[in-house]
Amino acid sequence: METMIALQCSNVKKQFGTFAALKEVSLSVQQGECFGLLGPNGAGKSTLISMIYGSLSRTSGSIQVFNQDPQVQGRAVRAQLGVVTQENNLDSSMTVLENMQMFSRYVGVPKAERKKRITELLDFMLLSHKSSAVIESLSGGMKRRLVFVRALLHKPRLLILDEPTTGLDPAVRQLLWEKVAELKKSGVTIILTTHYMDEAERLCDRLVIMDEGTIRAHGTPRELILKNCLAYVAGVEKIEKTKLQNLAGITLIEDPHHLLLSANSLEALTNCFTEKQIKPIFIRPSNLEDVFLKITGREIADND
Amino acid sequence: MTDTFNLAWLVTVRHWKVYRKYFWSNILPTFVEPCFYIFSLGVGLGSFINEIDGLSYAAFMGPGLAISASMFTAFFESSYGFYVRLTMDGIYKALLTTPLGPREIILGELIWVSLKGALMGFAVAFVVVAFGFLPWSWNLLGILPVGFLVGAGCGSLGLISSALIKNISQFQTVYTVVISPLFFFSGIFFPVQKLPQALQIVSHISPLYHGVVLNQQLLWQRLDGALFLQHLGELVFLNGILIFVAYRLVYRKLYS
Repeated sequence: METMIALQCSNVKKQFGTFAALKEVSLSVQQGECFGLLGPNGAGKSTLISMIYGSLSRTSGSIQVFNQDPQVQGRAVRAQLGVVTQENNLDSSMTVLENMQMFSRYVGVPKAERKKRITELLDFMLLSHKSSAVIESLSGGMKRRLVFVRALLHKPRLLILDEPTTGLDPAVRQLLWEKVAELKKSGVTIILTTHYMDEAERLCDRLVIMDEGTIRAHGTPRELILKNCLAYVAGVEKIEKTKLQNLAGITLIEDPHHLLLSANSLEALTNCFTEKQIKPIFIRPSNLEDVFLKITGREIADND
Repeated sequence: MTDTFNLAWLVTVRHWKVYRKYFWSNILPTFVEPCFYIFSLGVGLGSFINEIDGLSYAAFMGPGLAISASMFTAFFESSYGFYVRLTMDGIYKALLTTPLGPREIILGELIWVSLKGALMGFAVAFVVVAFGFLPWSWNLLGILPVGFLVGAGCGSLGLISSALIKNISQFQTVYTVVISPLFFFSGIFFPVQKLPQALQIVSHISPLYHGVVLNQQLLWQRLDGALFLQHLGELVFLNGILIFVAYRLVYRKLYS
C-alpha cells in the first residue's frame, strides 16, 4: 500500500512583529503515524499547531493538510481534524451532554448519528456516568477526557493533541496513553505536542525536537537516542565529581540534580563504580530526556 | 454562502440554548427597566405634562423606550457577553478548531444580538400597549424588524468596543460615553428638534434615534412614508458602516 502524506509543512515561518516564532520549519507526517513535536515552552509548537488547523496565518511557507491549504480551505481542513486544545475551554454554561450535542453540530455529525456517537465516546473515555454533570463539577482529568471526546465526535482523520496530559495525575495519563494507542491502531493520524519525554517515547513513531522556532533534530525515538547518546546513563551525587575525572569511554555531564555518566555498556559503568567505590543513585538505559537535554543545550557541561 | 449561514446559525442556537436555561433571570432586567421608566416618568412626571405632540407623556415615551431595550440588550450581549466568551471562557478558541471560522462566529453573534434586540423591543412595546398607554394595532409587529436593525447596529458598537478594550472594566467608559448619550439624545424623552442644532447632527449618527422615529411612527400610527423611508435608509446605512468596522476589528481578534 502506498503511504499517503497527511501533513506537509515546507519552510513555514511566523513573525510576530520583530519576534520570529517559527523560522523555516519543514516536516511531513505520514498517514497513520503518531508524530511528535517536542520542545521547551516557547519553542513554537503551539504556533505551528494553530497554523495547521488554520486559526493562525503564516508569514511564509506552505502547509498542506491532506493536500489542502488550511489558510485557504480552512473549513474543509478542519472538518477532517480533531483538536485537543491546550486549554480545556469547554462550554461552562452547559452540561457534559449538552456540550457534546452542540459540538457535534458544529463539526457536522449527522443528526441520526449524534446520540450514538456521543454515547460511544463518553463510554470510551469512561465518562458515561457524568453525562448530565455541569462542567465545573468535573475534575481536571475528566475535563481533559471530555475534550478528547469532543475532538473525536466526527471521526477525524487527523487528531491534534496539544499537550494532552499536562497537569494530569499518573493514572489519567496512563489511561489517555492507552486511548491514544487505540486510536492510532484504528488508523487515525496523530500529531502530539508535549514536553514529557516519556510520553513522546511511548507514543510517537517519529518526532522532531524544536527550540526557538527551529527544528533541532528529527527521527524515531530510538534513532535519536542512538545518535545523540551513549546507551546507558548513571546518576551520581555531585560531590563525587573530583573522583570522576578523565574516565575512558565514559562521558560526564551535569544536570541540576546529579552528575550523569553515560557509557555504551553497562559493565563500563559498574566497573567504574567498583573501582572508584561510588554508589550510583540509578543506572538506566538512555532515553529521550537525555537527547532533549543534549539538543536543547540545557545544563550541559563537557567532561572537564 | 449557505454553509456560512448554517454554521453561523449554530452560534446563534448555542447562545439561545444558554439563554433559555435562565430565561426569566435573563429577560427580567432588560425588560423591566423600561417598564419602570414608563410607570415612573410616564405616569409620575407625565401628570405634570399635559401633552407632547398631542400624546400623553407615557404614550410619547413608549415607542422610544421599547426600542431602547433593543439597544441595551444588544449592546450588553455583544460587549460583556461577547468579551467573556472571547477572552475568559475560551469558547471561541474551541469553536475555531471546528469548521466554523471567524466569519461564522461574527455573523452568528450579530444574528443573535439582533434577534434579541427584536424580541426585547417587542416585549416592552407589548407591555406599553397592554397597559393601555397606546392603542393596539398590527403596527406593533413592525417593532420586530426595527428592533432587529437597532440590535444589529448597537450590537456592532458592542463588538467594536470588545475588540478595542484592554480590560473588561473599560466597558463602563464606553457605556457612559457612547450608550448613555444615545439613550438620552435620541428623541425618546423629548423631540430631538428641541435640541441645539449641533446635537441634532449627533442624533443622526445614532442608530437608536432612527429606530426611535420609526417605532414612534408605527406605534403612534402616524406613518409618513417619505420620512419613514429616510430614517430606514439612514439606519441601514449606519448599520452597514458599523457592521463593517465591527467585522474587521473582531476578525483580527479571532484570526491573526
